[in-house]
Amino acid sequence: MFEFQPLTPRVSRMRERYRTTFPTLSTERARIVTEYYKEHVAEPSILKRANLLYKLCQEMTVLVEEEELIVGNIAPTYRGSSLWPEYGINWLFDELKDGTFENRARDEESHEISQEDKEYILSIEDFWRKNGISPRMTAIMPDGLPKTFGSGVISFQGENMCSNPTGHFNANYDKVLTKGFGAIKKEAQEHLDAMEGRVFGDKAKKYTFYKAITIVCDAAILLSKRYAQLCREKAQTASEVRKAELLKMAESLDHIMENPCRTFHEAVQAVFLYQLVMAIDGNMHGLTIGRLDQYLWKFLDKDLKENRTTMEQAQEVLDCFFLKIADCCKVWSVASARNSGGYTSGQHMTLGGQTKDGKDATNPVSYMMLQSAARLVIHDPPLSLRVHKGTPDELFEAAIECAKRVGGIPTMQNDEIIIPALLKKGFSLEDARNYCIIGCVEPAGTGCEWSACGGSGKESYWNMANALMLAINNGINPLTGVQAGLPTGYLYEMKSFEEVKEAFVKQTNYFVDWHITMTNFYELVAAENMPIPIASATMDGCMESGLDVTWGGAKYNSTGVSAIGCGNVADSLSAIKYLIFDKKECTARELYDAMMANWEGYEPLRQKILNEVPRYGNADSYVDELARWATSVFIDRVNAATGFRGSYRPGLYPVSAHIAFGKATAATPDGRLAHTPLADGISPVQSMDKNGPTAVLRSVSVLDTLNCGNGTLLNMKFHPKSVEGVEGNNKIKDLVKTFFSMDGMHIQFNVVSSDTLRAAQKNPEEYRDLVIRIAGFSAYFIELYKELQDDLIRRTDQVF
Amino acid sequence: MSTLNKEITGLIYDIQGFSVHDGPGIRTTVFLKGCPLRCPWCHSPESQSFKPQICWMDIRCVGVDKCGLCLNVCPQQAISLGDIRESLLDNTKIQLIKVSRELCNDCGKCAEVCSAQALFISGTEYTVEQVMQRLRKDIPFFETSGGGVTISGGEPLSQPAFTLELLKQCKKEGLHTAVDTTGFSDFKLLQAILAYTDLFLYDIKNMDSSLHNNVIGVPNEKILGNALRLAEAGAKIQVRIPLIPLFNDSDQALDAVAKFCLKLGDAVTQVQVLPYHAYGVTKYQRILYQAPVFEAQVHSEEKINHCLDRLKSYGLPVVLH
Repeated sequence: MFEFQPLTPRVSRMRERYRTTFPTLSTERARIVTEYYKEHVAEPSILKRANLLYKLCQEMTVLVEEEELIVGNIAPTYRGSSLWPEYGINWLFDELKDGTFENRARDEESHEISQEDKEYILSIEDFWRKNGISPRMTAIMPDGLPKTFGSGVISFQGENMCSNPTGHFNANYDKVLTKGFGAIKKEAQEHLDAMEGRVFGDKAKKYTFYKAITIVCDAAILLSKRYAQLCREKAQTASEVRKAELLKMAESLDHIMENPCRTFHEAVQAVFLYQLVMAIDGNMHGLTIGRLDQYLWKFLDKDLKENRTTMEQAQEVLDCFFLKIADCCKVWSVASARNSGGYTSGQHMTLGGQTKDGKDATNPVSYMMLQSAARLVIHDPPLSLRVHKGTPDELFEAAIECAKRVGGIPTMQNDEIIIPALLKKGFSLEDARNYCIIGCVEPAGTGCEWSACGGSGKESYWNMANALMLAINNGINPLTGVQAGLPTGYLYEMKSFEEVKEAFVKQTNYFVDWHITMTNFYELVAAENMPIPIASATMDGCMESGLDVTWGGAKYNSTGVSAIGCGNVADSLSAIKYLIFDKKECTARELYDAMMANWEGYEPLRQKILNEVPRYGNADSYVDELARWATSVFIDRVNAATGFRGSYRPGLYPVSAHIAFGKATAATPDGRLAHTPLADGISPVQSMDKNGPTAVLRSVSVLDTLNCGNGTLLNMKFHPKSVEGVEGNNKIKDLVKTFFSMDGMHIQFNVVSSDTLRAAQKNPEEYRDLVIRIAGFSAYFIELYKELQDDLIRRTDQVF
Repeated sequence: MSTLNKEITGLIYDIQGFSVHDGPGIRTTVFLKGCPLRCPWCHSPESQSFKPQICWMDIRCVGVDKCGLCLNVCPQQAISLGDIRESLLDNTKIQLIKVSRELCNDCGKCAEVCSAQALFISGTEYTVEQVMQRLRKDIPFFETSGGGVTISGGEPLSQPAFTLELLKQCKKEGLHTAVDTTGFSDFKLLQAILAYTDLFLYDIKNMDSSLHNNVIGVPNEKILGNALRLAEAGAKIQVRIPLIPLFNDSDQALDAVAKFCLKLGDAVTQVQVLPYHAYGVTKYQRILYQAPVFEAQVHSEEKINHCLDRLKSYGLPVVLH
């Protein structure tokens, strides 16, 4: 079996500190941003963002903590959070005023905050309510949008729309490591010099772009040099051993970012600093680290050959890096915290897979990444293993062993379906083979695509269950009573199952189109107000085109939209077809009334739906075909949509929106009670998979994943007993391989029993380190909001 | 022949995919109902009777207040109000029912109206083709993992015609087959399935025949004799030893079993030790029977390791279930 090495004492101490430090919210960044925005009204957005970043890199507190080998911090305290008021923090103003923020429980991602900081935040409320990104979005709201309010299908509303940047991308880290920002700046400067005095045609805009690039390059270099300086200061009072370490780090920090990295340690530090600069700029929204093993190995290989380091030393450096990723905190609204939870920042890494020329890409760093995750038992960063036909068994086994220890890390992604899916979206073969996983499960280009996988900020998700509810309730969401959709009639007026399907198609098309419409408006607002030159500086295509990533400058472009509730829609359609039209066990009126009564007084009918009606997840083609059909209605409509940068990509993954969306969804025909969670991703409805994991995988593999380029998510839970030891690992491996041979795209699993989870709920202190995969991310179970915990417990234990 | 096949049915109480302990690879196990043995530690008591039986699972019941349909349909008046339990979901009280084993004649009328399937019939007649339809769904998993189909029970050889036809059909479709047997049958039945059985999962519970008879209800000579003849006939055998406290866990008992395994020679592919657990108790409640009085302490890890080592010392390929 794959062996995990012990942690070094240094790393153990650092991990303990991470696990026992309580996050603090700081206003340092908010103060600099507010002052800057007030003083620089006249600056064009791209220069404003660039100069602001420079100022932040110049003024924000830098820290070098005891024993650290990798430095960098996003707030002036260890494990602190910063604020990005320019993207909208109306939720924070509200929470501070009504006391919610201070009374947050740990499972609501509570943060400490000083009285002074609190007062400061409230003092900037008026300014940011008028100048954030949300009011700008509200200002260009299309006339027809208010008619869709209350649908529950899309969540664009009049206020607080889009409080996150368009994010979810993988910048080109390799360029930072192999070229450095000095060379990037030089390239931008050459473009400027060539244009100077002859800015003709459309070049004025490009001139501002290149100018911004030179500024952000300076910002990144400056930040690195400030850390170098601090290391030198700390060295003066440090012990001899630490002094040598600090001086060596200082020498590196003076060199990297500006110049190509020379060693593995330098490369790891540069990855983190680039990550940090982007986080300081843009709200840490799906900042994906990507194929770490691919761009780091050449440095380690050289170090080892030239006897500069050992595998043990390199592992310690990587462990420190993982801990730095984990301690990056981001404060969300209490509603978002309940839905995601566990202080997660989603800085995803990918390992394994294929090289650009189609060979197996596994290298020693791939294993080191698993070593870090499995031994540190940390939920962040999330990892994905890319699986292809040539994936070595040893890597597969190490990954499974890791996932058993740290719930769902890594998840598994299928090259054999994702690469063809990207080719269909216009990728070159080389770029398709070089894809990475963004955010949770979304495939996208490595350093070459502005993927905006998460779509537009928090409004990226689309409630498929409510689309069905509107289809059978004349366009009215029963919870709001508002006619927000098309008047497609009521279930009890429909004469055939075909009529039900037609109504679903109409509502789906209508609301997908509205969703895309709003996303396109948001992209316009983002392009005008929030360019991201620090990402554009490395992204393939931007330097060549002279355009920012938000303007469409990257080599590839796409935007993701994900639908929630696939399992519920499949089972609901199945119930309608089976009970009303095929078996005639009840009338449409009875089913409709039962549902509208939230099943009150109709329990036997509800139980029949739960137990007798064919359910998705049991390898029953009766319902599986309905799942395929319904998701394809969504998939095809999204694939046909366009924005100004390019095309859209449909996804079927929820992060944890299935909980929030469930709250906003009335009782559905699948027997689900109002307000309870929807099914997550493409997983069957909780506890409805009754024929074991092979049947689940057969069902799931009927979906059209090839056209679902923004990713799918299947969550499974195994009882530890059924997958014990090496033999158990082999069984999981065979299960995954078979699923992938049937065109499955993604799978993740927890190896834990419901009993353990219940015990952890009761005695959280004893289960402090229990990491569990939720939907799009992993988290410490005890730090999750109770409803999420319950949702996990309700999932079927696959035990045999 | 084929028309005859269609008429043969087997009484099955479960078909389980991803059975990971019943032979090599990922397997689907078909559980046949009915067994000639009565092991007091049996963890599948529903497998013992040769007839369909009413089962009652209280956690599925939604309560009399919301449903209560079963109370009115029982011709035997075997169903009445039972305990009140707290809902696992919302802490409300649920008025359960209870079923009288004495009055119930397993007619199944209550199961027909119980849409929650808290009352259900264990044991359904399947044709070979119906079972095959289910098994075919898992073929991709068998192929990747080197798995296949396991026929278990109960005792598969207590439904010999069905077992034989099912095995034949599996082999015709190229599936790996295993039969999980007590070995307590006429040898000619074993001989009949031998050509279609890639692996026997074969229980050796105790080498002492009188103890075997006293505890399980049948002596062991036939079982042991059949094992030897199977080995001689070229069968592959995975020996299974349920490790039962104070029954077969002494060094002496283990030595005897180990020596017997050696006699089986190359036929033995693996010796699987299955430590005793008490999960069967709730299943007795489910089929409305009192669990037999069988109070055993679960073995400690040290004891289990000791037993494994003892068996291993004979050079046997021992694994823990």
